[in-house]
Amino acid sequence: MPGPSPRTAALIPRRNAATAGPGTAIHEEEALKHRLLAVTATLLWFAHPGASHAQEGAASDTGAVTRQELNGLLEGLNEQLQVLQADTDKLKKFKFSGYVQARTEFSEASNDSVKVSGSPAVISSPNATRFFIRRARLKMTYDSSPLSQAVVYFDGGADRTLRLLEAYVTLLDPWTPNHDHQLTLGQFNVPFGWEIERSSSVRELPERSRAENVQFSGERDRGAKLESQWTPKLKTTLAVLNGGGVNSTDFPATDPTRGKDVTGRVRWSQGAWDAAVSGYRGRQVTALTGPDVLTDKTRLGVDAQGFWTLPSAGGGSIRGEFYSGHEVNANALRDSIAAPTSTNPNRLLKSGVNGQHLATDMLGWYVMAVQNLGDRFQAVVRYDTYDPNVDVDHDQFERLGFGLNAFYDGFTRITVSYDAITTDAPAGPGRFTDPHDNLWTIQLQHKF
Amino acid sequence: MKRTILLSLLATTALAAATACAARPITVKGSDTMVILGQRWAEKYMNANPGQVIMVTGGGSGTGIAALINGTTEICQASRAMKQDEKLKLRDRYQTMGVEIPVAKDGLTVYVHSSNELKELTVVQLRDIYRGTTTNWKQVGGKDATIILYGRENSSGTYGYFKEHVLGGRDFSARVQTLPGTAAVVNAVSKDPNGIGFGGAAYAKGVRDVAMKKDATSAAVLPTAAAVHDGSYPLARHLYFYLRKQPAGDTKKFVDWILSADGQKLASDVGYFPLK
Repeated sequence: MPGPSPRTAALIPRRNAATAGPGTAIHEEEALKHRLLAVTATLLWFAHPGASHAQEGAASDTGAVTRQELNGLLEGLNEQLQVLQADTDKLKKFKFSGYVQARTEFSEASNDSVKVSGSPAVISSPNATRFFIRRARLKMTYDSSPLSQAVVYFDGGADRTLRLLEAYVTLLDPWTPNHDHQLTLGQFNVPFGWEIERSSSVRELPERSRAENVQFSGERDRGAKLESQWTPKLKTTLAVLNGGGVNSTDFPATDPTRGKDVTGRVRWSQGAWDAAVSGYRGRQVTALTGPDVLTDKTRLGVDAQGFWTLPSAGGGSIRGEFYSGHEVNANALRDSIAAPTSTNPNRLLKSGVNGQHLATDMLGWYVMAVQNLGDRFQAVVRYDTYDPNVDVDHDQFERLGFGLNAFYDGFTRITVSYDAITTDAPAGPGRFTDPHDNLWTIQLQHKF
Repeated sequence: MKRTILLSLLATTALAAATACAARPITVKGSDTMVILGQRWAEKYMNANPGQVIMVTGGGSGTGIAALINGTTEICQASRAMKQDEKLKLRDRYQTMGVEIPVAKDGLTVYVHSSNELKELTVVQLRDIYRGTTTNWKQVGGKDATIILYGRENSSGTYGYFKEHVLGGRDFSARVQTLPGTAAVVNAVSKDPNGIGFGGAAYAKGVRDVAMKKDATSAAVLPTAAAVHDGSYPLARHLYFYLRKQPAGDTKKFVDWILSADGQKLASDVGYFPLK
């Protein structure tokens, strides 16, 4: 069988380029290996019978370097390389990843508020423009063995504090070749819906839909999760959670409902299209002076995505997600509970209010389309809506968003987006107006 | 305010457009098994097409696939098929599951030291050796000596193929000494009378190939062109190009040439096997 000689093969540096350009990036660790391999390869060449004969000849003439000495040096280098390799293998068990999203937002009116962070939105005092760090995240994964893994994930973007975003331990089953069943315990993303399972670093628009923001503020909770990949296309996830979520006022105290919430998700990935159903059932406590009010918290989600490829432009997709449920409504809390005052510090239901009416039926959905324009650009449009109480009017949120992503290199992208937001704000008896709260966002993200 | 927004948008668009308009060569990255083949293809194609620049780098199939996903290579060379989770990552970024193009065949070859008298192994025996349940050559009909295992790093497609098709997806023995390339594996085995390694057929020089049997009753077969093509060699595999979308322009011309008789003959000359 024809092929390169073993000497040639040994001399070809791994990760070398036939005609590598000046911009070829090489990791520092790889560069070190390259140097060692280059030295090793050079010495191998000297150790080659033909070459070494010449060296021996030279050695007999000059008394310089003998073949034996070279071989000894080579063996020594090989030993050093093995030690280095063993150390590198240990370090490779640590994996660091993360991303930074630096952002500036421009509000529609100079006296308008600007959403600066959080989900649901945390509104600053009137402030037309603002620079801020939306997300600055660092994830460390340690693959201690093929059967277990630990992850610690921090976020330092929203304010000046470093926040623990996720921390969990995963056990991988030993009885399937690809470890298709995994049990996780700790703090992690709630397994509900397409938006939550997708990292914010790959999302095409800066924020998730309003319905998701309200229902799953912070997206994470503490509990146990069982993920099972039954076939390459079918995956199920079942989780038991405290239920409050990382942004609740109770977090990280013990579960205020003293009962666990349960959520599950079934996903079918065909490739050209995916579809999934998610369900959530739990209880929610509204703390009052005197007996607290305990209400149901149920959610149902359906999502689907379809993908296509245009020959000249590249891939595109259309996605939709539907949320419905029954849970405590912020408007109902405001309207039904007498807020404590300095003269009456009690927090009580207003006279005649049924505590169970704090929870209302909600509905939310979005549909979005994404089209790649070559490898470096991507256009996005999304419509999303959220109605916290389907039984009343003028409480809906609607948003039409447009975005353009430009991928500067393999790690950095620039996002420019515009959100046209429609809400009803009281403007006198029986009258409502849409506040000037549309938003331009420019974001620079680097992912590593 | 509006002026600020407009200027920001213009600056963003100009920056992105500048990066998009820069002349780019065809970049090929991935499998170490295929790096020699890719280099030869690139050299010959560039000689025949002056002005066309093709950059070929290795790093392993996993590294190449990661580069395909993050956009730092146009073509990924892989000695294993892309995994489902890799395809989903590609889809997350490009809304496409990618395009798979088989470009050559290879017989994943098991090497032993030239002094080792062992002639053949079944796939199950090989699995047990690399799982660590068989530790002495005597257990598979060889001499009484401890087997020294050499293998590849987990970014290697050869590692992935071996794990899936020989180990049945199970993990390698902790005794395997991982080396950064097939050439390093061949080099280590060529010096170690008790060593065993695996890699692409084109690298098998200075060591002895072990004939492989699908099971205890089947014939022992060496990785020859005939055995790889008729499927009798149990560790025959395709070598792939992966792209984000159907190749067009200069890239299509390069891929078409690789699949032509000239390109396939070169694959054979280098030590791999043509598709047909």
